[in-house]
Amino acid sequence: MTEQLTVAAGIEPKGSALDLLHIVRINEEIKAVVAVAFKINIMALNAIFLAKRAGTAALGFGVLSNELRSFSGQLRETMLSLNGLIHASVGEVSVLLLDSRYSSIFSAAAALVPASARLRSVIERREARTAEYRAKLSVLRRSLRSSVEDAFRLVELGGVLAKSAKIEAAYGASFSVSLSQVSGEFDGIVEEIRGSLDTLRKSRFFRG
Amino acid sequence: MKTTQTIFQDGDHKWVAIVRDPGRQDYLIDTNEYLVTHSGQGLLVDPGGLEIFPAVFSAVATEFDPSAIAAVFASHQDPDVISSLALWLEFNPQMRCYISWLWASFIPHFGGNASTFSAIPDEGAAISVGGLSLQAVPAHYLHSSGNFHLYDRTAKVFFSGDVGAALLPSEQQDLFVKDFSAHIRHAEGFHRRWMGSNEAKRQWCERISQLDIDILCPQHGALYQGKDVQRFIDWFDTLHVGVLRG
Ligand SMILES: [Fe+2]
Ligand SMILES: [Fe+2]
Repeated sequence: MTEQLTVAAGIEPKGSALDLLHIVRINEEIKAVVAVAFKINIMALNAIFLAKRAGTAALGFGVLSNELRSFSGQLRETMLSLNGLIHASVGEVSVLLLDSRYSSIFSAAAALVPASARLRSVIERREARTAEYRAKLSVLRRSLRSSVEDAFRLVELGGVLAKSAKIEAAYGASFSVSLSQVSGEFDGIVEEIRGSLDTLRKSRFFRG
Repeated sequence: MKTTQTIFQDGDHKWVAIVRDPGRQDYLIDTNEYLVTHSGQGLLVDPGGLEIFPAVFSAVATEFDPSAIAAVFASHQDPDVISSLALWLEFNPQMRCYISWLWASFIPHFGGNASTFSAIPDEGAAISVGGLSLQAVPAHYLHSSGNFHLYDRTAKVFFSGDVGAALLPSEQQDLFVKDFSAHIRHAEGFHRRWMGSNEAKRQWCERISQLDIDILCPQHGALYQGKDVQRFIDWFDTLHVGVLRG
């Protein structure tokens, strides 16, 4: 994954603009995980067929492959539900971006015309609304964060399944080499997802 | 802050030019805004861009209660003309916006809703400010395809939008054109490039020559007064426009 989003030299995004950059990064990570979850699904399907051919020697492996397949489905769903939250966060952050631009223009006007009571009330109204937008965004921030945690726990379970499949592969008699290879791939991919989700939970968006 | 200069006054009937913002960033084109007042009501003509709202607002406030501005008139859809609309509406949600019907569904991207806009038909319309009747005069394709100027028959003031605009060097701060032939050099490239139709220009010159005008007020650069008004119309009439370079 790409860590660095390039911004024009000398322009440091801050506030809502920085939030937007973080959300974009989170979204890219989610897309990557969804793609990999789909890959696990295909791999698990192949593993199920392989276990069938291996017969009784690979019964345990077959059960785990089935579990991994439903894990990939669940993971995909969890990640897609994150999409909805991402969408809503982008909406809220965009509102705040425009809001802060307008607010700063109004403050500049008020500094020039301090006597205008009407201008002051516009600014007060804005401040109240800004607080509302911020509150909405922090609710979204928390939901997103707890969904990412849910996904992380799910992937830890996937990791256990992949590791058990590795052990089961050893009992696969003449199939054990190919079963080991498949379970090794599972393990690698689940670790990859784990890494992605770990990056996600540490996103600076959640610290905002 | 921009400065205000009253260019016409008869009792509470006024035209105020809002010009020259020393605090303006160089990357923003300099604009003139105009405030027309009559019987305690105001109309803001080409209220300007988002970024200059504080400068325009504060300049207006020195002359007139901004909450008594009942409407804005936008000659056309450009950002330097009307991108401040959302802020004016937030200040006064009752404010109306007069603009060509052609842009009535585009300008809400800058702000406002269905009840904000009074769409001006192609042939023009009368606009009332505190009982004073102003005329929205068609100036389509000069430069915008839905474009209006504003004529005050009583004050003999004609707001000409981008027509008559000059991109003046910053040391030239005069409100009115002093030396027409020196001034017009700064207007020539602008008119050739920005004005799209020789035919529209021809018709405009013919129609505007019929009007009794003391002051011609462009959205950029110095104002034309007295004989310079007809001088400008004659110059414009012979200029070949719609030229990419030259
Ligand atoms: Fe324009
Ligand atoms: Fe303009």
